[in-house]
Amino acid sequence: MQFKLKVNGESRSFEADPEMPLLWALRDFLDLKGAKYGCGIGACGACTVHVNGRPMRSCVVPLEAVATAEIRTIEALGGDHPVQRAWLEEQVPQCGYCQTGQIMQAVALLEQSPEPTREDVRRGMDAVLCRCGTYPRIEAAVLRAAKSMPRKSGG
Amino acid sequence: MVTRRTFMFSSGALAVAVALPLRGADLAGVAAATDFVTAYLEVGRDGRVRLHSPTTEMGQGTHTGHAVIIADELGVDLEQVTVVTAEPADPFRRNGQMGSGGSWGVRYWYEPLRKAAAQARETLLAAAAAQWAVPADELRLERGRIVHAESSRSIGIGAVAAAAGNLPMPENPRLRPRSELRYTGRTVPRVDLGPKVRGEPVFASDMARPGMVFACACLSPVFGAELHDFDRQPALGVPGVLDVVPVPGGAAVVASDTWAALRGAESLSIRFKPTPHDGLDSDTISRQMRAGLEPEAQPIQARGDGDWSAVERAAGGRVVEAVYEVPYLCHAPMEPWNCTVEIDAGGTLHIWAPVQTQDRNRNAAAAAAGVPPEKVRLHTTLLGGGFGRRLGSDGIAAAVVVARAVKRPVKFFWRREDEFGQGWYRPAQVARLRAVLDAEGRVLGLHVRTAGPSLANSFGAQGLPAGQLDGSSVQTIRESRYRPGAFHVEWARVDQPVPMAPWRSVGATQNGYFLESFIDEVALAAGRDPWQLRRELLAHDARALNVIDTAARAAGWGEPLPKGRARGMAFVESYGSLCAEVAEVSLRDGRPYVHRVVCALDCGSVVLPDGVKSQVEGGIVQGLSAALGEAVRIADGRAQDRNFDTYEILRMSAAPERIETVIIESGEPMGGVGEPPLPPIAPAVVNAVLALTGRPTRSLPISQHRYA
Repeated sequence: MQFKLKVNGESRSFEADPEMPLLWALRDFLDLKGAKYGCGIGACGACTVHVNGRPMRSCVVPLEAVATAEIRTIEALGGDHPVQRAWLEEQVPQCGYCQTGQIMQAVALLEQSPEPTREDVRRGMDAVLCRCGTYPRIEAAVLRAAKSMPRKSGG
Repeated sequence: MVTRRTFMFSSGALAVAVALPLRGADLAGVAAATDFVTAYLEVGRDGRVRLHSPTTEMGQGTHTGHAVIIADELGVDLEQVTVVTAEPADPFRRNGQMGSGGSWGVRYWYEPLRKAAAQARETLLAAAAAQWAVPADELRLERGRIVHAESSRSIGIGAVAAAAGNLPMPENPRLRPRSELRYTGRTVPRVDLGPKVRGEPVFASDMARPGMVFACACLSPVFGAELHDFDRQPALGVPGVLDVVPVPGGAAVVASDTWAALRGAESLSIRFKPTPHDGLDSDTISRQMRAGLEPEAQPIQARGDGDWSAVERAAGGRVVEAVYEVPYLCHAPMEPWNCTVEIDAGGTLHIWAPVQTQDRNRNAAAAAAGVPPEKVRLHTTLLGGGFGRRLGSDGIAAAVVVARAVKRPVKFFWRREDEFGQGWYRPAQVARLRAVLDAEGRVLGLHVRTAGPSLANSFGAQGLPAGQLDGSSVQTIRESRYRPGAFHVEWARVDQPVPMAPWRSVGATQNGYFLESFIDEVALAAGRDPWQLRRELLAHDARALNVIDTAARAAGWGEPLPKGRARGMAFVESYGSLCAEVAEVSLRDGRPYVHRVVCALDCGSVVLPDGVKSQVEGGIVQGLSAALGEAVRIADGRAQDRNFDTYEILRMSAAPERIETVIIESGEPMGGVGEPPLPPIAPAVVNAVLALTGRPTRSLPISQHRYA
């Protein structure tokens, strides 16, 4: 099936199985390697990307379900996003494999609730596993980023 | 351009012929021209220093530690240093093997790398001295420049690299005094974090080669079962599937993309041969291990201080006894096993792989291809977690077989279910501990019997001969600093057909839990404070006392807590470091919730203080994760927990709210850091639960228990 996917503000055309999870289209067809394969069942969050602004587990989202959606991956953040800066300031990653998923989850969380409490962060980040145990630093980085995220004018 | 040169140099005890491959821009940028090369570092004309680290970077931060050591001793800015993992060669081997384990990364390599940098510095200075016709001892190397103060001249190291490349290296270079070290012991940014935060392709699974195909492994779910046969037709019917290749342990479905390979693997009809353990289950394993605690089992003695039998027989002695059990644990690194293999026109294999053991994997790949190891170029990528799982070489041969069969570059990968299901777990184990107390509650003797499978038998190349002790089965108890009077430690071997591998902090994970939980049970029985009882058992040992006292005081031991909270303490020594932790715990829905952990770690001396903190935090979170929820349950000869839906890795909302690290630089020999902070957290938490509820926790994971 022919797809014309809206990814990071661009329209990308390719031919693929409509049941193919978004993750594999991003990684194998569009050369966007930031989202990672961790479990294939939507349980670990290493593959987290935004679909219409919401964090989704791209390993269980079939292409046909996002054919007209706006998709955003970590590559769109540009490297100097407030959340990425906070990640470096807090020296969050260890192995780093889950961190793109963590960052995309954090960006979505802060876009939805710009002034989260600590409990909001701890619950809001539950979807993404970290085996190295960087949770204390993730928590600190999200709270730090919350202070420097641009505010949407007019609410 | 990419070149390959062979360098010979002699430096005292370290006389090596090094085939030092200068790698292309396939994994990291290479300096445009490299003129000065030692075994460990290259200096380019642009002044950049490229460090070939002997260690795998899997998140533990050793590449940054090594960069700091080199930058300090050489005299360059940290930003000038690029780090890659070396390919196997003598300078990178410890005990004849190149690999990363045992928390050796900084403590072992500190001196060789410092010396190498000092040799390079003096050689670069000699080159500049010759160029300026001044004595070398009038020159200094600072921030990447060689400075002659008297004549106000300076020159970048890149400009003399070519000349230095023709000079001999000094055998015994002077090491800089501590006052000249700019980064050591200070907070510096990790060298590998920028690309990781930007989502750049740094992992083996991100590797792409022209014409590459994707191969999904189809392996037996029963441990160690061999392939019987498969019918390739259903798989070949999946669009994109190119081939099905038999490999050691099963088959691989080869396809034009990952999804096609996954779908092909699902439709492959494959059968495996029966094994003697097709009916094996967790209950049977548990029963067999517990039989190893009975008198008729034949244990191997590991320690025998004093006369335990006499103490046990003595009249009036009060005996405290407890039996503990822990399950198999999976390492579960977030990146499932994969590697990319490309065979070039000359027959050389290029392999990009996430491995902790370079020689072991290179040799396994060479054996699978029927070529000498020199025909294998092993490029170690950054790892999406290791924790001991990547010490093995169980995944590389199949990848080589596929690459040879399809004659194209291959990315070979396991599904998460194989990462869980293929085994190589932290051993399950049981233990019976007994203590004899006198009328005043003083400990007169301690007897420990552990029973379980031999890790060394499973993971060792030859297997453990009968009658020999597997040190990991009594690790940290055998070497314990406690003096409980008579002290007897023994192990009964109960082998199982489940593959095992070292798991972060290895035998200290289960044995630290056994001993430290028991100490608190003894304290409760004797009416003693757990900290004070430990102080008594360590009264002869100032270093250990300082560690437990530091943790207790920083945690406010004995001070009032909010209602429903209690503290628990544990002290475990492993990999050359002493570690005490105090956990502050309450119960939520009948389960422990950790508010705060204070960790005191005496690792001798420190290169990266923030790196140590990071490892302490990670070790505590991973150790808590295992204690609270992790277990591989076995039935029908296979793992029942095959993904993160049932194998419970800790999530953020259950992580400790606060972790405070106190680093103790005792000046003793440098200890390990990656592993020692992990073992104390499980017993610290169950000891807090004991204080809170009066109920001991004699089996893990805690999730199988409910507390009121």
